[in-house]
Amino acid sequence: MKLSGEFIFDGNQNEVWELLRDPDALAKALPGTQSLEKTGENEYTGKMHVRVGPVSGVFAGKLTISDEVPPESYTMQVDGRGAPGFVKGTGSIKLTAQDGGKTLMQYTGDVQVGGRIAGVGQRLIDSVSKSMVRQGLETLNMALKAKHAPPPPTPQAAAEQPPAFTPPSEMEFALGVAKDMLADVLSPENKRVWELIAAVLVSFALGYLFGSKRRVG
Amino acid sequence: MGKYIGQPVKRNEDPRLLTGQALFVDDVDLPGMLHATFLRSDYAHARIISIDTSAAKAMPGVVAVYTAADMGDFWHPSPMIVQPPPTLEDIVFNARPQIPMAKDKVRHIGDPVAVVIAESRYIAEDAAEQIWVEYEPLDAVTDLEKALEPDSALLYEELGTNLASHVQQEKGNYAEAAANADLVIKRRIIIDRGAAAAMENRGIVVNWDAKSQQMTMWNTTQAPIPIRNGIAATLGLSEHQVRVIAPFVGGGFGPKIMLWQPEEVLLPWASMKLNRPIKWIEDRRENFMGTTQERGQIHDVEAAFTKDGKILGLKDVFLHDTGAYNPYGLTVPLNTQTHSMGTYDVPNLYTEFKVVFTNKMIVTPVRGAGRPQGIFVVERMMDLAAKELGLDPVEIRRRNLIPADAFPVNQQIIGQDFIETIYDSGNFQPLLEKAKKMIGYDQFVTEEQPKLRAEGRHVGIGLVTFVESTGVGPYEGARITVESSGKVNLVTGVGTQGQSHFTSFAQIAAEALGVDVRDVEVTTGDTAQFHWGTGTFASRGAVVAGNAINAAAQRVRAKILAKASEVLEAPEEELELENGVVRVADMPEKSLTLGKLAMLANPLRGAVEPGTEPGLEASEYFGPKYGTTASGVVAMIVEVDPDTMMIDIPKFVIAHDCGTVINPMVVEGQIHGGVSLGVGNSYYEQIIYDENGQLLNASFMDYLIPRSTDMPHEFEIAHQETKSPLNPMGSKGVGEAGAIPIPSLFAQALENALNIDGLEILEMPLSPSKLFSLVQAARSRD
Repeated sequence: MKLSGEFIFDGNQNEVWELLRDPDALAKALPGTQSLEKTGENEYTGKMHVRVGPVSGVFAGKLTISDEVPPESYTMQVDGRGAPGFVKGTGSIKLTAQDGGKTLMQYTGDVQVGGRIAGVGQRLIDSVSKSMVRQGLETLNMALKAKHAPPPPTPQAAAEQPPAFTPPSEMEFALGVAKDMLADVLSPENKRVWELIAAVLVSFALGYLFGSKRRVG
Repeated sequence: MGKYIGQPVKRNEDPRLLTGQALFVDDVDLPGMLHATFLRSDYAHARIISIDTSAAKAMPGVVAVYTAADMGDFWHPSPMIVQPPPTLEDIVFNARPQIPMAKDKVRHIGDPVAVVIAESRYIAEDAAEQIWVEYEPLDAVTDLEKALEPDSALLYEELGTNLASHVQQEKGNYAEAAANADLVIKRRIIIDRGAAAAMENRGIVVNWDAKSQQMTMWNTTQAPIPIRNGIAATLGLSEHQVRVIAPFVGGGFGPKIMLWQPEEVLLPWASMKLNRPIKWIEDRRENFMGTTQERGQIHDVEAAFTKDGKILGLKDVFLHDTGAYNPYGLTVPLNTQTHSMGTYDVPNLYTEFKVVFTNKMIVTPVRGAGRPQGIFVVERMMDLAAKELGLDPVEIRRRNLIPADAFPVNQQIIGQDFIETIYDSGNFQPLLEKAKKMIGYDQFVTEEQPKLRAEGRHVGIGLVTFVESTGVGPYEGARITVESSGKVNLVTGVGTQGQSHFTSFAQIAAEALGVDVRDVEVTTGDTAQFHWGTGTFASRGAVVAGNAINAAAQRVRAKILAKASEVLEAPEEELELENGVVRVADMPEKSLTLGKLAMLANPLRGAVEPGTEPGLEASEYFGPKYGTTASGVVAMIVEVDPDTMMIDIPKFVIAHDCGTVINPMVVEGQIHGGVSLGVGNSYYEQIIYDENGQLLNASFMDYLIPRSTDMPHEFEIAHQETKSPLNPMGSKGVGEAGAIPIPSLFAQALENALNIDGLEILEMPLSPSKLFSLVQAARSRD
């Protein structure tokens, strides 16, 4: 199963690379992430709760990184399994500087999904995965923009302003998925499958950059 | 037509079924009963490195967890259910029957790797999730053609190939026929899998009682007696220590004929080991991955015709997908071969198939069992030839039908019953004319369709023919007893999955014995009641068991007449049986109830004549020489919405011939059900595996079965009775008839409705989106 996509971040390439190394931002960008641990030089294990329609459960995964070229690109292999089934694949992420201090992220992958999540969740995988990718990347970008926002002029103003960056809760995230699915139903073109894997890959990929051992959520 | 035979008698079983008083397997609830769950492979093809069951075993409420390793010497491949016909010469056949549990390798999604037995199903399922299996994934074999290429991954490395079987058969000389033909058509036809999707999934309750040394199993099987014999053999018990009961079953459709499936082997063994009753009820997702399926074939077909539309020969070379194991031998592809001449006089046929192992669920017969594919091939060739030659589709069929005076016709192709297929009897022309008239063919084509087309509507008509080989051997039996209450007890070995046996079998006995049909109590599928027989399959219940029942009833009738003649002091030929009474024909006051006679035939004191048997009872058996051929012609009108490709069937007709009709209402019910599967196979039901062997639509959210609203609005059935010479009742089967011709009917009618140059439907099942793509492709070729 092939997948690919791209996203433009409102920040320069080094900032994006740094962001991808920021464990808090990454973990918060993908609710459902339960743990992520570094188990070797380029090896990480983690757990993530995923829901696709009637199928939900925790995937325990192993991620291996190779061909890292900071701040440009890396390749990864992911191997996740759990009660809902399994995910196995390779993917790569590439960052390119754009005009106006923006950065293009391109991702590609080749993944197999198996078990219950493939057998029963099939019809929803497309929508759910698309939505997870979109929300995850947008949340990261929000974090990036929040860093750029000018500091509040006075303490009062700071108090009046909403927090600069509030990551979505798992519930908000699920609502976002539902909203995207509704939009999908209404949109005539909806043929790209398997982006759930993109989401899982991206999440592990981002997670890898935590670098340090930590538990989330 | 008799007092009962041929009458639309209301069903004896309905009061129990409709008031919830019918026993199904899941109704069985025994004290101390445990519950089983199978852990099934998520991988289509992988080596098992290790299995860690410790966490599952440690869970409270878990009684046992077994893997192949725990089975020790009890683990061995099951026997083949069906062997290839010994009469087929020079064939390749690599037998790979099922195994009780995957040991070194899993070969399809759903292959069982462990079983958890716990105090409740909830605990068992939670525990199954705690089993950790370390797999080494292997490339999956999913494409029939690539599977046979030299660099393909192998399901069985020791075979060095994924070829399970290779069979060639020929009638006449196709090559010569083609050389002399005016028209030779070549096409590729692709047919994919569907599920049997019975309303009730498989289920087992098994109880080993150590004190009585008896095993009782309730099983949703179509074959209780072979299962009993199999269990006894594998566990080293006497056959009389094992009782298998197939109670009411919510649909069989083929897969429940399977024997020695993992669940049926493991659970009796576990019950004996644990000395506790165990229940296992398959859930729907499990049914998609763990119950056998059918239909996947790829055909390369050639057909040779004269310019007048007479078929000279057919060449069909096809690949047949058997899935991961082939316990059911060659039944399905042989049925395809023997049905690829349909109702037509095809003088030359070359037919060759290769059976291929793939990393998918096992393929065994599903209602139709290879026949729909064979009929699809020949019916499509007729349609293509008609188009090429400018003939009407009905006319080309009329020119090719086997004439009524040709029977019996030896088709010279060895079939599932091990001998050359012989059409024993038939009368196809009147069926064709009848169906054509019922659908209003000429009027539709000349008057209605032009008007509808002018209105911009896409309404089409189709008419196709079919044969159905039915009622194969080896044999069935029955025992009939007149009880002292005057009621008649009838037992037979075949099981019942909704075929109305409690009524049609009772009608046969009631007819012979002159009793009310409601006074015949029928028991099917309980080995403690009757333990000789094979099972319910191949549209054979009414033919084979029906004739055994008729024979037993005739013998009981003879006993009644002999005993009554003695008691009433009147010659037998002056006696008549009616309303549960035997009497002297012209002296009605000289009479006896059958109950009284039964008591007299079973005296408590006194002496009986030497050589007589007590009671009014007889057991009889019937085995036909070979299967009898039923036939029919179906036609329908279909409207297609060109934007959505959703369809509507305002009218459907069938003129069919299953010989003697025992109960027309029951026959019609069988046809309704068969057509419903046929509609599913044509337009809705397809099991989708991806290239990694993952099953992508294992639920009724994604696997579509036709609803009542997808069925024809008007549904007309005409019965024709060409009696079979192969059995005394003249009966033929009808169980699969409805399913067989529908895909070919859809293909013709949809092409006719859409009326687009170059639109050829050569694949099944279709779906609205697939039809849309075919239409787009045909339009872009223009």
